[in-house]
Amino acid sequence: MKKYETPLLDELEKGPWPSFVKEIKKAAKKSEMANDELGQLEKSYRDRRGYWKHGGIVGVLGYGGGVIGRYSSLPTEFPGVAHFHTVRINQPSGMFYKTDDLRTILDLWDEYGSGLTNMHGSTGDMVLLGCRTEALEPLFAEVTSRGWDLGGSGSALRTPACCVGKARCEWANIDTMDLCNHLTQMYQDYLHRPAWPYKFKFKIAGCAVDCVASIARADCSVIGTWKGKIAVDQAAVKNYAKGGMDVQAEIVDMCPTGCMSYSGGELKIDDANCSRCMHCISKMTKALKATGEKGASILIGSKAPIVVGSLLSWVIVPFIKMEPPYTEFTELVDKIWEWWDDNAKPRERIGEVIEVKGMRSFLEAIGVEPQAQQVYEPRKDPFFFWKEEDLNGNK
Amino acid sequence: MELAELQDKIYAFVQAAKGKKKLKEKDIIKGVSAETSETPDNVKKAMRAMIDVGRLMYSYGGGSSSVEIPSEEYLREKGMIK
Repeated sequence: MKKYETPLLDELEKGPWPSFVKEIKKAAKKSEMANDELGQLEKSYRDRRGYWKHGGIVGVLGYGGGVIGRYSSLPTEFPGVAHFHTVRINQPSGMFYKTDDLRTILDLWDEYGSGLTNMHGSTGDMVLLGCRTEALEPLFAEVTSRGWDLGGSGSALRTPACCVGKARCEWANIDTMDLCNHLTQMYQDYLHRPAWPYKFKFKIAGCAVDCVASIARADCSVIGTWKGKIAVDQAAVKNYAKGGMDVQAEIVDMCPTGCMSYSGGELKIDDANCSRCMHCISKMTKALKATGEKGASILIGSKAPIVVGSLLSWVIVPFIKMEPPYTEFTELVDKIWEWWDDNAKPRERIGEVIEVKGMRSFLEAIGVEPQAQQVYEPRKDPFFFWKEEDLNGNK
Repeated sequence: MELAELQDKIYAFVQAAKGKKKLKEKDIIKGVSAETSETPDNVKKAMRAMIDVGRLMYSYGGGSSSVEIPSEEYLREKGMIK
C-alpha cells in the first residue's frame, strides 16, 4: 500500500477533540480506499481545490435514491477512490441501535466499501462513505436481507428523522419515534422513487427545545406542544433559588412573552400568554411541568442550504392531536405535497414556493383556516399612519 | 390497452424527450396519460415496472432526479447485457 505524506492533514489530529483524520488513518491500515482518500485529501488541501466529481447515474435497480455518486477527478493518481459513492442507510427512529446490528452493518461495510462512515449525516441517515459502483448491488442485497433499507436522496422524501422522544425524554409531548417510523413505512414509495421537483424533509421534535433542529432544517417540522397549564412546584422553585439560580434573571427575564413573575420566592405564570417555548421548563425541570392535552404544532418551509437562502419554518397548524394512525396529519401532508408538486419549478423547496405564491394561496389549497398563530413575525411597520391634523400640533 | 403496448408508449415518450428535457415521473405520467387516455395510476404502475427491470432508470443531476432510458454502461453494470 502506497504511503502518503500528509503534513497538512496531520495538523487536524492535534488537540483534544475527535479527529476525522485520525479515523481515516486507522481505516487506511486495512483499506486501500481509505488510504487513497488520505492521499487525495492531502492534495486537495495543498492545492486548495476539491477533486471530487458529484452526481451521475449510480444507484441500485428500482431505486432512485439512497446512493450519491462520487468519483475522483484523479483516478489514475488515486485509483482507490476512483469510485467513492456514498450510501445512505435509513437510521432507526431516534438512532437507537443494538450493538449486534451495528456490528453487522460495519462488517458488511468493511467487506464492500472503504470502512469509513459518517454517524450520522445531517439528514439523519447512517452514511457509508466510499463504495465502488460494482459493489453497490451486492451491498444492497446484503443490507436489505438483514432488514435494513436505503435512505432518501435526490428529489425524493428524505429519510424522516426525530429526536429520542419518549424513549429518553420526559419533555416529549408526542411519541416522536412512533410517528417517524409511521411516516417512514407509509411513504416508502416517496422515499425510494423520486417524483418531486426537489427534496422534502420531515423532522419531528417532542417539544420546542427541538433537539432535531426541525425548525431550521425541515420542509415540514412537527414539534410537540401542549394546551394546558405549566404546573409549578413552588418548593422545587425554592430549591433552585437556594442552589444559586437567579430565578428572576435566568427564568423570568428570559421569558419571550413576559408571562412570568417572581416575588417573595413564588413563581407565577400567566398561562394564557405563554408561547410554550420550553425555556423555563428546560431550566427548572424539577419545578415545572407541562400539563393537559398534548399534541403538536405543524410548521412548514424551512431549509438550511450551504451557501445562501436559508429559511425558518412557519406555523401552519398551531395544535393537532398526534396519535396513531395519524390520519389527520397524513391527509394534510398529501394536500401539501399536491400543491407543492403542482406549483414548484425544478429545485424549488416548498418554503420558496410559499414565498413566491403567498401563504394565503397555500392555506386555501390545503384547506387550513388562517389563524393568529400563523403570523410569521409581528409587523415592525404600523398599519395606521397619523395625519398632520390628527396630531393637534403635537409631533 | 395491453401493458406491453402501454410500456412501449412510455418508452417512446421518454425517448422523444432525450437530450431535450429531463423528465420527472409526473411529466411522463401526465404526458402518456393524455396521449393514451390511460389513467395516471395505470401509467405510473407501468412506468415503475419498467424501472424495476431496468428498461427505464432514475437519473440524478444538479440536485434533482429524472427518469431516463438507461445507457449501455448502466445495463452492463447491472448485469442485464454482456
